Amino acid sequence: MFSKNGMLTKIYTWVEERTGLSEILRSQLVDFTVPKDSGYSNTLGFVLFTAFFIQLITGVFLLTYYIPHPDYAFKSVQFIMNQANFGWLFRFVHVVGSNLLVATLFIHILVVFYRGTYKKPRELNWLTGGLLFFIILLFCVTGYLLPWNQLSYWSTTILTSIPTVIPFVGGKVTEFIRGGEYVTGITLNRFFAFHVAFLPLFLITVVIIHIFVVWRTGLYSISEGTQDPAQEGAHLFKRPVYPDGYPFYPSLFMKAVFMILLYIAVVFFTITFFQTLFLPEYANIKADPFSTPYLIRPPWYFLAPYTLLRLIPNKFIGISIQVVIIVLFLLWPFFDINKEKNIWKRPFLLVLFSTTLIVWFLLTMLGRF
Amino acid sequence: MTRRSLLKSLLSYLGLATLFSFIYPAYKYLSPANIFARKKPFTIKKKEIPEGEAKDVIVNSNPVIIINSPSQGFIALSRVCTHLGCLVDYDKSRSRLVCPCHAAQFDIDGKVISGPAPKPLTRFALTTEGDSVVIS
Amino acid sequence: MKRLIFVVLTLLLVLSALAVAEAGYRDLFRKQFIDEPWAGAPIVKEGVCIECHTSKLMKPDYLKIPQEWKMSIHYKNNVSCHDCHGGNPNDSAVSCGTPHSGFIGTPKYDEVPQLCGKCHIGILKNYLKSGHGKALKAKRRGPNCVTCHGSHSIQKANIDIINSVRCTQCHSYNRARIMKQALFLTEKRMSDLDKKITALKAQGVITNKIDKLLFRTQAEFRTIFHTVDVSLVKKRTGEFSKKLDVISNDLDKVSSQLSFRKNFSAFLFMLFLAMAIVVVIIIHKGSD
Repeated sequence: MFSKNGMLTKIYTWVEERTGLSEILRSQLVDFTVPKDSGYSNTLGFVLFTAFFIQLITGVFLLTYYIPHPDYAFKSVQFIMNQANFGWLFRFVHVVGSNLLVATLFIHILVVFYRGTYKKPRELNWLTGGLLFFIILLFCVTGYLLPWNQLSYWSTTILTSIPTVIPFVGGKVTEFIRGGEYVTGITLNRFFAFHVAFLPLFLITVVIIHIFVVWRTGLYSISEGTQDPAQEGAHLFKRPVYPDGYPFYPSLFMKAVFMILLYIAVVFFTITFFQTLFLPEYANIKADPFSTPYLIRPPWYFLAPYTLLRLIPNKFIGISIQVVIIVLFLLWPFFDINKEKNIWKRPFLLVLFSTTLIVWFLLTMLGRF
Repeated sequence: MTRRSLLKSLLSYLGLATLFSFIYPAYKYLSPANIFARKKPFTIKKKEIPEGEAKDVIVNSNPVIIINSPSQGFIALSRVCTHLGCLVDYDKSRSRLVCPCHAAQFDIDGKVISGPAPKPLTRFALTTEGDSVVIS
Repeated sequence: MKRLIFVVLTLLLVLSALAVAEAGYRDLFRKQFIDEPWAGAPIVKEGVCIECHTSKLMKPDYLKIPQEWKMSIHYKNNVSCHDCHGGNPNDSAVSCGTPHSGFIGTPKYDEVPQLCGKCHIGILKNYLKSGHGKALKAKRRGPNCVTCHGSHSIQKANIDIINSVRCTQCHSYNRARIMKQALFLTEKRMSDLDKKITALKAQGVITNKIDKLLFRTQAEFRTIFHTVDVSLVKKRTGEFSKKLDVISNDLDKVSSQLSFRKNFSAFLFMLFLAMAIVVVIIIHKGSD
């Protein structure tokens, strides 16, 4: 099949004669050089793209049986898990995949921050990436409610109660999000619409822009050095060239493939050995608006902000700090304009980075109790 | 065969195996599930249940009670109490169904009158065909 | 860096000013956010009965009743004082002392079965037919419900309620021992199936239908026991055995489904791991 006169080669030649496909593949994959020092950590973007694609496919399969109405949502998920053939597979991959996607996203952000690859000319990468981060979190919030079990219902009640602390408009904001005073079928419908229609379109648009700017500005290389504003033509766009780099295909491409396979292997490892990790007891009881269970927590990626909110005595200060952090995060390239990319040469930033990491970790651990 | 081509073919075969391990479940997932298999309808002659009386039957392994109500005709309700699952009994004198475990009471429409039952009794679709009653 | 510090300080200043101005919203947030059961606030659901029965003015005998009740299976299932003793749990003026609101204080010894039988209908019927029930009616002696199950600290019934201490108050232990032996195997099977269902629930299986089936089989079996008729128990043990077989088969089917799922996802895991390893080898040693 793979030999010179085999079937695949014949098909390839037929397509080649009509589209000139090999030219595009060569210029985009082989002639596209990447720096010599790029490695596995540069492939996290590909992993995330594939992870999202997996979510999309499993999500569409789940969509064939899911019913977004409070009387039927839980039953339809039960049907998928128990009666539909292999329904459990799609549901588990979707649940575990979403959590792993957020975890990989955190790692990706940390790597980019650590290497300082958000500085000029890559500010747009960071801006679009930050936006993608919040879109993914919105995916998580909206998707969490859809199974309509005790865990999702009350977790969503908690998360949508947070805006009540904003003065004057807090209550109205919460009512606007919920479509009413409480979380009801109306909330379910609009979260479903967002999760399935609006957010995917929004995400794909931003992903295209993000991939475009990443491709255009090229992967960062230490040999790039810091750009000297006194240099002639420093304000003009310059397509990066790596004379001692290597072609994207096959080296970095294979590394990306490896990371993707590893990601999927971890998904199935979790499904095999830790099946109830993301589906605890409360997730198997239908949502009951009149019965508040004892001690419900938001999902792990929201535990740190949730704990912070509960620890600070004045709740308004609590949420203001969160807003400040979010603004700082989104617009970070405009705050950190120091040209030095090596974090080890910037002790203050290193301390800030490690402290934030440790505090986030501690808050998340604390939030579990 | 070179090492490279050996590895490449190994990868292709594994890849193909993976592909089929997803295509098969995807195909089965979209095929009709087993519970939609045709179930046999249950038939009983009308004269076996005099007016005002009720009869306990089993329909597709569900315990069902068929009541011949003077006001509403034939009604088929699940006998499984929605509290913890005991089978309810028909109290003819008060036209209601009572659960012997914790005294949950239901009327002949299946609605909860009193007791710890959280939901009404499941009602089964019932049709009359000639001199028989059919529950599908 | 200066720009950063400036922006952060300004933001914090503006927001703190707003915070001080809108201090009232703290209470709203506390009410909607912190004082909820899902945030960890304790659920309070007690009526006036508990208030008096835990106060220092109450007779010492009655003081320990709320504590005993809180350890009981009735408490776990939201069965409170008024569910058995009548009265209005929200109005102390009407509840105690007056039969007006249906309040029954401590029932007389031979009135206890009727009190418990208000809810436990099936068991009352069989009890009245039994030797125990007849003895109570005729001679006002013999065991009532409280003799075996206690009054307020009632636990989930189990076979060890039948023991040589309790059952020798009126006659020799021999009769009770024969009954216990007759019940033993079925009870053991039911308790094993119960454990299996709990284990499956922990794995995320939704067990409503089979839970209900086991409960009603258990309830029917224990209702028969209350006739204290050993021959009846022995005669119907076969019938119950068949019912338990059905449940056991269903549970086995569920378990095998779960193992299939585990095996299938383990197989997929191995596939992807194998592919990842092959790719790594190609990356590092792929060229000859």
